[in-house]
Amino acid sequence: MQENNYALQMQDITVEFPGVLANDHVSIDCKKGEVLGLLGENGAGKTTLMNVLYGLYPPTSGKILLGGNEVHISSPSEAIENGVGMVHQHFKLVDTLSVIENVILGIPSKKQRLDLEPAKKRLLELCKEYELYVDPDEIVWRLPVGKQQWVEILKALYRDCKVLVLDEPTAVLTPAESDQLCRAIRRITADGRSVVFISHKLREVIQITDRVTVIRDGKLIGTIDTKDATQIKLAEMMVGRPVTIVRKERPVFEDKKPILVMEGVSAKDDRGIQALKNLNLIVHSGEIVGLAGVDGNGQRELAECIVGLRKLTSGSITIKDKKVNNVIADPSFVGFIPEDRQKTGLVMDFSIADNMIIKDYQNEPFAQNKILRYKVIKKHARAMIRKYNVKSPSEDVKVRNLSGGNQQKVVIARELDPEPVLDIAAHPTRGLDLGAVTNVHDILLKERNRGAAVLFISAELQEVMALSDRIIVLFGGEIMGDLNGETADQQVIGQMMLGQPLEVQK
Amino acid sequence: MKLLKNAKILDVPIIGDIVVSAGRTFLGIALGLIASGILIAITGVNPFVAYAALIKGAFGNAQAMSNVLVRASPLLLGGIAVSLGIKAGVWNTGIEGYMYLGAIGAAMVGVLDLGLPPVVHILLCFVCAAVFAGIWGAIPGYLRAYKGVNEVTSTIMLNYIAIYLTSWVVSNFSLLAQTDAFYPMSKQFLPSALLPILMPGSSLHPGPFIGIILCIVFYFVLNYTPFGFRTKMLGANPFAARYSGTNSNKQIMIIIIIGAVIGGFSGAVEVMGLKHRVFMDFVTGVGYESVAVALLAGGSPIGVVFSALFFAALKAGGATMSIETGVASSMSSIIIAMCMLFVIGVGVVDSHRLKKVVDTSKYDEADEIAEAPKGKVEK
Amino acid sequence: MSFDIIVDWLQAALRWAAPLILVSIGEVYSERSGVINMGIEGIMLFGALSGVAVAFYTQSLLLALLITIVVGAILGLAVAYLTVSRRTNQVVTGLMINMVALGATDMIFALLSATRKARVATFPTIFPESMHNIPVIGKLLFAQPVSTWIALILPFIAGYILYKTKWGLNVRAVGDNPKAAATAGLSVIHIKYQTVILSGIFAAVGGCALTLGEVGYFSAGGMAAGRGFIVMAACVVAGWDPVRTALICIAFGAADTAQLRFQSITTVVPYQFLQMLPYIITIIALTIMVKRSRVPKTWGAPYDPKDV
Repeated sequence: MQENNYALQMQDITVEFPGVLANDHVSIDCKKGEVLGLLGENGAGKTTLMNVLYGLYPPTSGKILLGGNEVHISSPSEAIENGVGMVHQHFKLVDTLSVIENVILGIPSKKQRLDLEPAKKRLLELCKEYELYVDPDEIVWRLPVGKQQWVEILKALYRDCKVLVLDEPTAVLTPAESDQLCRAIRRITADGRSVVFISHKLREVIQITDRVTVIRDGKLIGTIDTKDATQIKLAEMMVGRPVTIVRKERPVFEDKKPILVMEGVSAKDDRGIQALKNLNLIVHSGEIVGLAGVDGNGQRELAECIVGLRKLTSGSITIKDKKVNNVIADPSFVGFIPEDRQKTGLVMDFSIADNMIIKDYQNEPFAQNKILRYKVIKKHARAMIRKYNVKSPSEDVKVRNLSGGNQQKVVIARELDPEPVLDIAAHPTRGLDLGAVTNVHDILLKERNRGAAVLFISAELQEVMALSDRIIVLFGGEIMGDLNGETADQQVIGQMMLGQPLEVQK
Repeated sequence: MKLLKNAKILDVPIIGDIVVSAGRTFLGIALGLIASGILIAITGVNPFVAYAALIKGAFGNAQAMSNVLVRASPLLLGGIAVSLGIKAGVWNTGIEGYMYLGAIGAAMVGVLDLGLPPVVHILLCFVCAAVFAGIWGAIPGYLRAYKGVNEVTSTIMLNYIAIYLTSWVVSNFSLLAQTDAFYPMSKQFLPSALLPILMPGSSLHPGPFIGIILCIVFYFVLNYTPFGFRTKMLGANPFAARYSGTNSNKQIMIIIIIGAVIGGFSGAVEVMGLKHRVFMDFVTGVGYESVAVALLAGGSPIGVVFSALFFAALKAGGATMSIETGVASSMSSIIIAMCMLFVIGVGVVDSHRLKKVVDTSKYDEADEIAEAPKGKVEK
Repeated sequence: MSFDIIVDWLQAALRWAAPLILVSIGEVYSERSGVINMGIEGIMLFGALSGVAVAFYTQSLLLALLITIVVGAILGLAVAYLTVSRRTNQVVTGLMINMVALGATDMIFALLSATRKARVATFPTIFPESMHNIPVIGKLLFAQPVSTWIALILPFIAGYILYKTKWGLNVRAVGDNPKAAATAGLSVIHIKYQTVILSGIFAAVGGCALTLGEVGYFSAGGMAAGRGFIVMAACVVAGWDPVRTALICIAFGAADTAQLRFQSITTVVPYQFLQMLPYIITIIALTIMVKRSRVPKTWGAPYDPKDV
């Protein structure tokens, strides 16, 4: 028999969830030693397809071939046995265990006794081979996110995977780490292993992959050789129509006053580790300050400090000359779109109407004489649903039953409609599709033009550059520099995200 | 259940939920009764005869029904106390302890001849019961809210402490203990401190009606006041509650204390309406039963009325069943617990499936993608 | 206080603690895998009853132990089915199991009217009579019934299994991050079933040690007296480490047996207040230690294998 050239073939995969066709007859194939890019917007069905491969969802129809042989994979352990390794977007590491314990977890063996020494030896060899260095004895939660990803990759390589799937691997990496990942991928494919690289970032896909498969709305759009691809062309395939680069036009705002003033702010994160170090920041009225940086460099803590959800260890924060001591839950003063809307920003089992007032429920006109006035509350909700174009049949629908974009609209309506003096938007576009993203950008710009001070936190550099009047880069809880949004250079920002302060670069 | 799943009515957002939850509640109860019936059969009694005796014991005549109401009193009050906790996300399992403390509190003034007119004396007893039980409830409340001590463990430990405290009060505490009694008990409450009997020839006291009124009051509090809104928000998503400026710790403590005060009332009602004295073990099993009541009601105050009456009927009928057929007297509490195990057993996974179906229906991404104007591209 | 009294006291403390230690071993595993088995109080009751009943009818302690293990496994399976497969609330499930147990053990006990006043032989000691007379340790250790010895040795084995074997690693992983464990190829559901069934078995055996290890009879009305909840508190206080949990159980035992001794020498403090002591100490210990204890991450949370 002739040896099969393909490491992985997925043919005619269809996945149907109740009411939704997540994958509609999608076929992909990946040759041995090849990097295949899987490109698509959020919610296009990339992750679903890979979860099928990893045995997490059963496909409604279609078949999977590995090395030319049809396989049935119904659980992760079968996927692993068949040589599939996967690095999920949200890491699947037990962060209370050590690196080596995570690596060997779940590997079947006859010996019941844990013998970590040989495993460590083998892991260190792999580290060396792929230049992804981690200390086998370190507890995972102590590792920076980038290193955690190395652990995930090493875990798959340790199991000698033939096909390695990387789901949005660069979302948590600094540019330098991304380069390191690139080199590792080259080494991995040089061994004859194949890599499926899932992303929605065009630049990376072009940089890393050999071929690209694009999917949109669960359907296969096409596969092209990367050398024939351009960013414009891929974007068109991904979105389905010609797209243009935009930096949002904006009027000059004359009457600038400092609104948010942070002086010498330090704070710790949930684990008690210093997350913000002596931070100074001023945001004026009528400007959008974009806060760029790789995730986990203090952005969350910064936002929480401003609205009083986190205690400062030193320094002070004032908003419009009022000192922040307590939780600010007054949207007519500060509007705060938290980064995890489902966990923090919404009560998923409450109706839209109730979610619209979770900060205002005890104030007039929603409550009078300690009684809630549901007539007023519902009327308000209906008005908000109309104004912010929330797709829902009624204000009584539970927020849980809305799509991500519509959930975000509920949060935005509640937080920004009372016209606060300061808007804090933490990753407001995360997980939204392109249409919803543009919508959010337009709203933030409108806020700025109204005269609000806007602090816009995002890990997506493109978005920050398109929207901000000023760009601040956060690294390790410190500000690396302050740039004009109009003239900022991507290269310079990239260096700052890496931890090189602006002054040093100059 | 198969039929139910295919029915169109399940697609209606709110009504569908209610149909399903009512359906699975009844299914759970039915299964619980069948399982208990098997148990009864194993003990050598015809379960149909036993259940017939149970029904007769609960609804046979006015006397029986008044008996059901009397037994419903602690279940109603305990049930609403636990329900309130469930809404706020805490398990207030200390009802027995609160009842003991409430009873002791009521006795502190109830056995004294203060020369007060009945209404005032009774009110004073209730105030005293509330204070005693409230302070008792402040302990697990504070520990849960500010120290992170699991309230189930702390309240159950406190229940045992309350039992020993009661034991001491009724046997050694000279102010209250009846010294010449054959069994340790407190002095008798003065007539002015006793609750009136509402139906001559029965022991029907106002307790069950106080319970029903409190259920209705808390229905309004939970659904139509900022306090209730805050409570439900805390239970549904504590992170969002904090984000929206709620002082979660304070709210948790208040909720546990309110539960304790209601429990205290319950204890006071028992001793002022029924027992007329405090003695050891005057409540047994009410703690667990209250949890069952609140659960069957799904935490809803109006539901508590029905589930408390249902369980009270089981208990009252169970007593008759025990006498007439020789089934063990503990059978009624076994039936209650079995029903609850089946109710929760058939519940969760189905509701989960339902959630998924609604999740991805009609209104979702499709039209959002259609409206997408222009995108962005990386330079 | 003479030296003898202290030895006496410690000996009683060990005896008191032995059933709790046995129960705690299973509970540590179950909670480490993320499932709080609150039903252990009730399962103890079943174990206590089945031990006495079987020993009474068969005159065989070994058979009593075996049947008790089976009873515990069945009840553990029931808890596992409800909490793991049906994903019911763990608090509620446990409380309702306790309620069933309270009623059912009383009922069965009443049915087996012959056992009602029965006293059966308790677990024997394993060391020869002559060794009991060795000063201090003779009384303290060698005169202890075999159940105490098992309770003293098992925590070390349990600790070894938890930290030094693959299965132990799997249990720790499942409790801290079930999704990660599942993607690493483990069957989270199976592991949870194993630990919860184990907790059922140990709870029943602990209950059996309560009756057959010491008193030799069953008494109606909930003779576990909150010990299941004390065990759960001990797990929290000790940070879910088998050996440390055992030590905490012994400390609780020392407190409880101390109050018994105080009762006999003082009348100043009413005995009821002394009886409260173990419960009060449990609450205080929890309060002091709870924040320092590292909770298994998915402690008490249901796991849905479909949530990816």
